[in-house]
Amino acid sequence: MPLLEVTDLIAGYGRVEVISKISFSIEAGKSVGIVGPNGVGKSTLLQAIAGGISPSGGSIKLDGVDIKGKKPEDIVRLGLSLVPEGRQIFSGLSVKENLALGLTGRKDKKGSVEAILKMKELFPVLSTHENHQAGMLSGGQQQQLAIARALISEPKVLLLDEPSLGLAPTVIDDVFDRLKQIIALGTAVVIVEQRANLVTTFAEETLVIRDGHVQSRLTPADAANLASLEKSYFGAGE
Amino acid sequence: MIQSILDAISLGGLYALAALGLGLVFGVMRLVNFAHGELITIAAYMLVVTVNLPLIISLLLTVLVTAAVAFLMELTIYRRLRGVNPAIMLIASFGLSTVLQRVYELIFGALPKSAVVAPFLNGAFKFAGLSITISSVITIVLTVVILLAMGYLVEKTSLGLQLRAAAADFRTARLLGVRSNRLISAAFVLSGVLATCVAFILVVENPEVNPYYGVNITILALVGIVIGGISSLRGAALGGFVVGVILSALNTLLGNGRVYAYSWLFLLVLIILLVRPGGFLSKGSELERV
Amino acid sequence: MKHGGYTKFSLQNLLGPLALLTVATYFLNGASTSLQLITQFALCYFVMVLALQVFVGNSGVLSFGHGSFALLGSYVSGMLTAPVHIKGHALALNQLWSFLVPLQVNIYVAMALSALISGAVAALTGILLMRLNGLAAGIATFALLGVTYNIFFNNKQIGPGSQALPAVPTITNTYILLLIAALSLVCVYFFNISRIGRTILATREDAMAAPALGVSIFKVRLIAFSISGVLAGLAGSMYVHVAGTFQVQDYYLDFTFMTLSMLIVGGSASIWGALVGTVLITGVGQILLMMEQNLPVFGLHITIPLGSRAVIIAVTFVAMLLWRSSGITNGREFSLDFLKKLSKKN
Repeated sequence: MPLLEVTDLIAGYGRVEVISKISFSIEAGKSVGIVGPNGVGKSTLLQAIAGGISPSGGSIKLDGVDIKGKKPEDIVRLGLSLVPEGRQIFSGLSVKENLALGLTGRKDKKGSVEAILKMKELFPVLSTHENHQAGMLSGGQQQQLAIARALISEPKVLLLDEPSLGLAPTVIDDVFDRLKQIIALGTAVVIVEQRANLVTTFAEETLVIRDGHVQSRLTPADAANLASLEKSYFGAGE
Repeated sequence: MIQSILDAISLGGLYALAALGLGLVFGVMRLVNFAHGELITIAAYMLVVTVNLPLIISLLLTVLVTAAVAFLMELTIYRRLRGVNPAIMLIASFGLSTVLQRVYELIFGALPKSAVVAPFLNGAFKFAGLSITISSVITIVLTVVILLAMGYLVEKTSLGLQLRAAAADFRTARLLGVRSNRLISAAFVLSGVLATCVAFILVVENPEVNPYYGVNITILALVGIVIGGISSLRGAALGGFVVGVILSALNTLLGNGRVYAYSWLFLLVLIILLVRPGGFLSKGSELERV
Repeated sequence: MKHGGYTKFSLQNLLGPLALLTVATYFLNGASTSLQLITQFALCYFVMVLALQVFVGNSGVLSFGHGSFALLGSYVSGMLTAPVHIKGHALALNQLWSFLVPLQVNIYVAMALSALISGAVAALTGILLMRLNGLAAGIATFALLGVTYNIFFNNKQIGPGSQALPAVPTITNTYILLLIAALSLVCVYFFNISRIGRTILATREDAMAAPALGVSIFKVRLIAFSISGVLAGLAGSMYVHVAGTFQVQDYYLDFTFMTLSMLIVGGSASIWGALVGTVLITGVGQILLMMEQNLPVFGLHITIPLGSRAVIIAVTFVAMLLWRSSGITNGREFSLDFLKKLSKKN
């Protein structure tokens, strides 16, 4: 049984429907990419899954439990974390405090100390800066902090909204290496990306979204001829 | 002179407490709760009505009732307005404030109710040849203790961390698991506790409680949080303090012109809003995004 | 646009409110002496609510400051028309600057002057205030009200201070007030459907709308604020000539809350909303007052405890906000479309 199963999801803001009938599923230790031009509803999709906005139709099952329409604070306790677009770390709080906030999403408080230690091991840079204001970190460090903060609740599924945004190429590689480690530990990871080639090579399956619905599904094999595909998928109207 | 300085500091401390109550609620839901004044009023009424009970029991009862009113006001009114235009929320809190004033008038009557609360705090003592009122010293001590306790709560506890995170970005805080309903309720209950502290200090000096008892201090505390920067608790408290000190100073310096102290104060607010919409402690114009 | 709003001239949008205004005035005015006075006050309130509609309703920016302009209008009109011997001898005015004593103009000239002066003050303060948005604007306008009130309440050289300026001549003919209110309504309507009016309404929904249209949001808001200042001054002037006395306290928090409630309960985005809100709150208030006094309402004797009227009005207002924050009319203009819908259903 897939860990996360999204079926015919419909969501939007107010009366405006941004995504219509999107379906996909993901299993433990796997990754799914989501690509598409700006404004097609990629972020809306992640927000709808994580509870940031309330979907108007379809179903979302996390490990067999229906989470559609639940509050974000409850969904995170059920094992799904979102790293939102633009990272959204608390720049006025210290790195330590940012990580501690991640603890609020844990089901029980046992193992809190270990969870933080584990993150510091996975992201050593956070350990060196733990007493600094999070706003003082570099973009790449902030992204690591945002991922670490989301992982502290030990989610079964991790959603990431444009983790490469504003980062230098070498830093992007570093972030994706961490993601590989996380996936290897059994977490299912969904990555929304603007850079199609990056995520298509990385993920087992990549959804191309256009005008609110899935236009096609790619595998890493498609990455090679992505250039020609990109023309047909993103070309017109861009 | 020393007495004037003590008065200024104690007034500043009092306004800091009131501003802190407003700031706590603003932080979590971007609401300027005009009806905070009515929390102070109900607390003052409770202290006067229960004056014959031992002080500690009277205080406990007051805290319970005030916190309950604060909790209920969020549960029944503000919870339903979450996410609507802040202007509508502001008007609603204005409306709620009127509702409560009228209800108090029905229950307690339009005429002031009065009783001597904690009489041992009235009077003066001699220090280095100067006569100093006990209440001003007690106010300062009490304020410092409460501010320290609040500081500890906000800076060192998990609840405080969540309050600060929610004030900065509620959406993200919820994604991390901060329970919105509980946190907002907690902020309201805390603001009720602070309102009780303010009411206690006020009632000792002025026991004539009427339905509008808390309005004035709330308006001035509001001025304080605008001056200090509405989005940080430290700014709110400091702003409240500054307003108290300025008002005290104006009252001393203006002489017969002291009736215009409010005008000067409001003028100051206008200038600060125009120059730094986020308050003088803010880095940018944080109010803009409200 | 979410709130219906104005697009182009529509006769029913204009005539609907005019008809209600006239009919309501006609029936209430004739009913009894006390109702006549209520009607006259309601017409003053309506002009004030129109003033708020032009600025608050169209721009979505909150103002607690319009009480200042009403106060000013009322003061100017009262001061210019109160008899010289009253100004010279009333105890409340014994510190009045002597040059104010002999000033005397015709009542309608005074009204025009007070509207103009309030408008000018609104324009001047607006230059500063219109740079602010949202909450900052709300608090800054509140500060403006605070300063005005504080000065007029305490300064006995410019006016009666906390006391009353008596013997202000009154307008007893309700239809003169109706005419002023109707003219104000027409002016506001044509302003709202003008290019500037539509631009301001567009900025209510989306702050980027004005820049997108190549207009400065500051300029359009300043224009609306000045016009609403003129109307608020006029409303204050009407009020003083109905009440027959000028008193600072009449234009403070209760006045501000009452008029804002009228606008918001009715629906702030339209003139129709402003009118419906005024009629409703005045009407409900009057009915409850009669109940408090144990008078029959539509032949029924329902008695409510003394003092509960104010509670009921305030509770209704808050409940209204919870139920429908865009007001009873949902911010739409008057239209006969709902009749068509009704006939289709039947």
